[in-house]
Amino acid sequence: MAEQTSKALTTAYFPKIKARKTSHLLIFRKYWMFYVMMLPAIVLLVFNNYIPMFGIIIAFKSINYADGILGSAWNGLTNFEYLFKTSDAWIITRNTLLYNSGFIILNLIFPLAFAIMLNEIRSRFVAKLHQTIMFLPYFLSMVVISYLVFGFMSDEHGYLNSSLLPALGLEKVNWYFTQEVWPYVLPIVNTWKSMGYFTVIYMAAIIGIDDEYYEAATIDGASKWKQMTSITIPLIMPVITIMTLLQIGKIFNADFGLFFQVPRESGVLFPVTNVIDTYVYRTFLTVGDIGLSSAAGLLQSVVGFTLVFLSNWVVRRINKDNALF
Amino acid sequence: MKQVKQKTFMLLLLMLTIVLVVSACSGNNSKTNNNPEPTKDSAATEEEPPASDLKPYKISLVYPGTPQTDEKKVEEALNKLLTEKINATIDLMPIDWGAWDDKINLMIASHEEVDIIFTAQWNGHANNVSKGAFLELGDLIDQYGKGIVDSLDPAFLEGAKINGKNYGIPTNKELAAAGGIVYRKDVTDELGIDMSNVKTPQDLDAVYAVVKAKRPDLTPLYTTAGVFNSHFFANYDFLGDSTIPGAILKDEAGTTVTSIEKIERYKQYLNLTRDYFKKGYINADAATTQVSSGDAWKAGTVFSTVEPMKPGKDAEIASASGLTGKLAQIIMTEKTVATSETAGSMLGISSTSKDPARAMMLINLLHTDKEINNLLNFGIEGEHYTRNGEIITATDSTANYNPGSAWMFGNQFLNYVWDTEDPDKWAKFKEFNQNAKVSPALGFVFNSEPVKAEVGALANVIRQYQRALETGSVDVDKILAEYEAKLKDAGVDKVIAEKQKQFDEFLASK
Amino acid sequence: MEAVEKISSGSNPKNQLSIPASLGINVFFIIYSLLCIIPLVLIVMVSISDEGTVVREGYQFIPSKLDLAAYQFLFKDATQIIRSYSISILVTIVGTTLSLIIMALYAYPISRADFPHAKFFTFFVFFTMLFSGGLVPWYLVYVQVLDLKDTLLALIMPLLVAAFFVLIIRTFFQTTIPAAVLESAKIDGAGELTIFAKIVLPLSLPVLATVALFQTLTYWNDWFLSLVFITKDGNITVQYLMYKTMLNIQFLANNSTAAAAITAAGGTFKFPSETVRMAMVVVGIGPIIFAYPFFQKYFVKGLTVGAVKG
Repeated sequence: MAEQTSKALTTAYFPKIKARKTSHLLIFRKYWMFYVMMLPAIVLLVFNNYIPMFGIIIAFKSINYADGILGSAWNGLTNFEYLFKTSDAWIITRNTLLYNSGFIILNLIFPLAFAIMLNEIRSRFVAKLHQTIMFLPYFLSMVVISYLVFGFMSDEHGYLNSSLLPALGLEKVNWYFTQEVWPYVLPIVNTWKSMGYFTVIYMAAIIGIDDEYYEAATIDGASKWKQMTSITIPLIMPVITIMTLLQIGKIFNADFGLFFQVPRESGVLFPVTNVIDTYVYRTFLTVGDIGLSSAAGLLQSVVGFTLVFLSNWVVRRINKDNALF
Repeated sequence: MKQVKQKTFMLLLLMLTIVLVVSACSGNNSKTNNNPEPTKDSAATEEEPPASDLKPYKISLVYPGTPQTDEKKVEEALNKLLTEKINATIDLMPIDWGAWDDKINLMIASHEEVDIIFTAQWNGHANNVSKGAFLELGDLIDQYGKGIVDSLDPAFLEGAKINGKNYGIPTNKELAAAGGIVYRKDVTDELGIDMSNVKTPQDLDAVYAVVKAKRPDLTPLYTTAGVFNSHFFANYDFLGDSTIPGAILKDEAGTTVTSIEKIERYKQYLNLTRDYFKKGYINADAATTQVSSGDAWKAGTVFSTVEPMKPGKDAEIASASGLTGKLAQIIMTEKTVATSETAGSMLGISSTSKDPARAMMLINLLHTDKEINNLLNFGIEGEHYTRNGEIITATDSTANYNPGSAWMFGNQFLNYVWDTEDPDKWAKFKEFNQNAKVSPALGFVFNSEPVKAEVGALANVIRQYQRALETGSVDVDKILAEYEAKLKDAGVDKVIAEKQKQFDEFLASK
Repeated sequence: MEAVEKISSGSNPKNQLSIPASLGINVFFIIYSLLCIIPLVLIVMVSISDEGTVVREGYQFIPSKLDLAAYQFLFKDATQIIRSYSISILVTIVGTTLSLIIMALYAYPISRADFPHAKFFTFFVFFTMLFSGGLVPWYLVYVQVLDLKDTLLALIMPLLVAAFFVLIIRTFFQTTIPAAVLESAKIDGAGELTIFAKIVLPLSLPVLATVALFQTLTYWNDWFLSLVFITKDGNITVQYLMYKTMLNIQFLANNSTAAAAITAAGGTFKFPSETVRMAMVVVGIGPIIFAYPFFQKYFVKGLTVGAVKG
C-alpha cells in the first residue's frame, strides 16, 4: 500500500489515450483545458527565458555594439580559451564541484533531520518559534554575512582573535590568510543561511503524509526510528529526489555571494575559495567583454544539463515515478 | 451549473492572460518623449548656426554619482540659461557608482538614446570605443569646441587619443600627478618630530618608530592597497589599463615595456613595505579590510596615508574627516603627466545621440561658461550656497544638491572655491601643472583584444597575489617567486610582447 | 486552525517521543536558534553604536557608546523610504499572488500521468533553469521588445515563473493527491478546472504556502530588477534603496584601480559608516520577518482528506 504512489494510481484510473499514432489533435481536444491553464506561464517563459536565449550565440562572437549582437563577428571558441589557460582551470573546477557536492549532501541531511525533529516537538508553539528563528539567516544578504564573518574572524578586532583565543590562552591566527579553515567555514555559513529554506520544504512534505500510516505503525509497536525509516523517508522520497536532481543541475554554478564576498577577496585564499563564477567575474572586471562571461555560462549550463540527464536516467532505472522527466 | 462556473473561470483565466500580454506589449505610457523634433546631424560642413535657428533639444547627461534631492530645481535653472544660449534643455541622469558598470553596459548594448556619457580610461573607455559606443569628436571639436581647445592644455587632448582620434573631452583640472603622504601635523608637533627632512619613504622609518612607541592608538601608516607601489607613487605607466601587466616608468625616458615585478623599484618598495609591516607600522588587516582610509581618518586612528598628491590634498582630506587644520602633506616623487591623468575623467558623446552638435556645444559651455559650470556643480546661488567673490559657503540646503562631481564636468578652473579650502587653490594648481615630466607613453592606449584570453587568465592571478604582496602582508621572496611563476603560466610574456609591439608602432608614428 | 494533529492508539497512545529524547531535541533547537538570532542581535547593536567606537573596537555586543545617528541619517529622506516601502509591498503582494496562481495552474497538468504532453512541458520549464542567454539579451527583450523600462510590471514579471517552484509544486501534486479522489470527482462529472480549484488546491495547502512564502521573500529581497529597470523618480524597492549604498561600497572595495583613479581625479567619497550600513540591513529586513509566522498557519494537512477517505 505504501509503495503504490498516487501517480501509479492516476495512470490506472486515467489511462493514456492509446492509438497507433497518438493523434495530437485528439489530445488537444481531450485536454484543451490543460493548455488554457498552462498558457499564462508559457507566455511568460517565452518572453522571459526563451526569446533571450538567442543570446547564447554571444559566447561565440566578438561583440561590437555598433554592429549589434546579430551583426557582430563570429570568433569560434576563442571566448572559451581563458577558462582553460592556466592551472587555475583545474582549481576552480575542483572547488566548484567539491563545494557543491558537499552542499547538496549537507542540504539534505540537516534540513531533513531538522524537519523530522521539529515535527516531534510536543508544543506546536515552540516548534513554530524555532522554525521562524531558523529562517532568519536566510533574510540576510551575503554582503551582510560577510561583515558578520569579518566581525568574527578579522585579524584586529574579530571576536576570535580578540576575545576567544586569548581567553583560551592560544595565539592569534590570521584567519583570512589561513587556507585550511575555509573549506569548513564556507559550508558552515552556507548551511546556516539556507537551513530554514530547505527545512520548510521538507516539513511541508512530511505534513502531507497520511496519519493512517503512523496509526498503523503505532499499533504494531514500531519505534520512532523505525517509523522514520519505513514511513517518513520513503514517502517523501519523490520530494527528496527532485530537490537533489535540481541541485545537481546547478552543480557547476556557485553561490557567487558566498565565494566572493565572504572571503573578502583575500588573494591568499584563492586556491580554496576560487570557483568558476568568481573566476569569470574577476576576468570580466578587467576585460569587460560579455562574450567571455557568456562562454563560461554556456559551459556551466551544458555540464549541469548533462549531469542532470544522467542522474535522471539513473533515477528512472530505480523508480520511474520519481524521475524528473 | 458547474458548466457555467467552469466556463466563467476559464474566461477569467483567458482574460488574465490577455491582460498580461497586452499590458506588457503596450508598455509604459508615461515615458517622457525626449525629442519631438531632433535636429539632423550633419556637422561636417555646416557653420555654427545662431541659437534662434536651432530647434529645441533635450540633452541627456549620464554620469556616476548619487541622485540629488534638488536635481529638478537645478535642471530648471540650467534650462533657462541653456535655452538662451543654445536653445536646449538638460536632463541630468546620475547613476550610483555601484550600478554604474552594469547600467552603462546595458545602456550601450541596448542602443539607448543618450547624449553625453562620463568615461575614463580606467573605466573601460578604450573598450567602449572599440565597441563603437562613442563618436569620434575631431570635427565636432573644430566646429563647436573652440572654447575647449582654447582653455585645455594640449597635453590633455593629446593624451586622451585612441589611435590618433579623440573620443572623449577631458576635464580641465590638475594635469600632473605626484605621490606623497598626508600626515597628522598636530601629532608630529606634539611629539616633537621634525618632518622637514623627510623626503623619501625610507626617511619615514624613524618617524613611524616614534609614533608607534608614543602613540599606540594610531596606525602609523594606514593602507588598503598598493602603498609605495601604487602607480601614482612609484610612477608606473601601464599604457592604458593598469590592471593589464606591462609598464614603463613615467619619470624616465626608457620605452621598454616590462612586467613591473621585474623592475628594481618595485622590488625595493615591496621589501620596504614588508619591513614596515613587520615592524607594525601598517594596519594588520591591510589585505582584507574594507574600511576606507576616509573612514579610518574620521575615526581618528590614522597617522598617515599614501596619497596621489595635488595642492591642498591635506586640506581636502582634513575637511572630509573633521580634522581641519591638523593635517599636512609631503610630496615625495617627481611630478609626471601620463595618459592616466589626461584621460582620467572625460565626457564622451554617445553614438546614439540624436544631436551630437548640441551635445558638443554643451560640453563647450562647461569649459567656458562660469555660470553654467558652477550651477551644475554647486547648485543655485543663495539657496545651496552663498558667495563672496570666488569663495562660497555652505547653507542649510547644501545637502540637497551637492554632487561632488566637479572633476567630471568641463573646466575646473572655473569652479568656485569652498571656504574650507585653500582660496588660492586654482592658482596653485596652475603652478602644479607646470614643469611636470611627460611620460614617453602619453597618448598611447593599449588594445587588449588580441590577447583577451591571456588578460582574462592574468586578471585572476593578479587579484590573487597583488594586494597581499603590495601591502606587505606576506613574505616577499617566496611569494614573489610564486607570483611570477603563475604570471608566466598565464601568458604574461605574450601580453607584454603585444604591448611592446603596439607601443613601438605608436612611437614610430609620432 | 489547529496544526498537525497527533494520532492516538496503541501502547504509545499519542505516538510521542520519550521524555529524554524530547528534552534532547528541545535543548538542541534552543542552541541552534540562539546561533541564528545572535548575529541579528549583533547587527542591531552595531546599528545603534557610535561610529568611531565601531571603527576602533570592531563589532561589539555591548558597545561602549550608543548613538542613534545611523537611523537619523537614514530617515532624513523619509519620503523616499516610505515610497520605496509602498513599492516593495505592492510588488510583493501582487507578484506573489499572481505567481502562485500561474505556477499552480501550470504545475497541475504536468503532474497528471495521463496527460501525454506532461513530459514535454516539464522539460519546457526545466530547461529554463539551466540555460540562459545572459543579462544583455534578457534586458533587450524587456526594454526593446516589451518596452517595460521604468514600469512596475518590470519589477514583477521576471520573477513570476520560477522553474524550481513549478517542479516542486508538481511533485507535491503527484504525491499528495490520491488518485481515488480525482477519479470520484471525474465520475461526478467535474471538469478539469473544477477538480483543480475544488480538490487539488485545498489538499495542497502546505506546498502552496511554502511557495507563497518563498516568492514573498524573492520579491521582497530583490534589488537587481530595480537596479536594471528603474531610472527615474525613485520608484525603487526598499531593498535596492538600502543595498545601493552597499553596492557603491563594494564597487570601490573591489575596484581599487577605479577608487585610486577617482581619488586622484579629485572625487571624494561620502560613505555611510559601518553603523549606517547595519541600520540599512535592519530597515531592509523590517516587515518581512513577519512573513513566516503569517504563512505558518497554512502548513496544515489538506482539509478534505478525511472526507474522501470516509
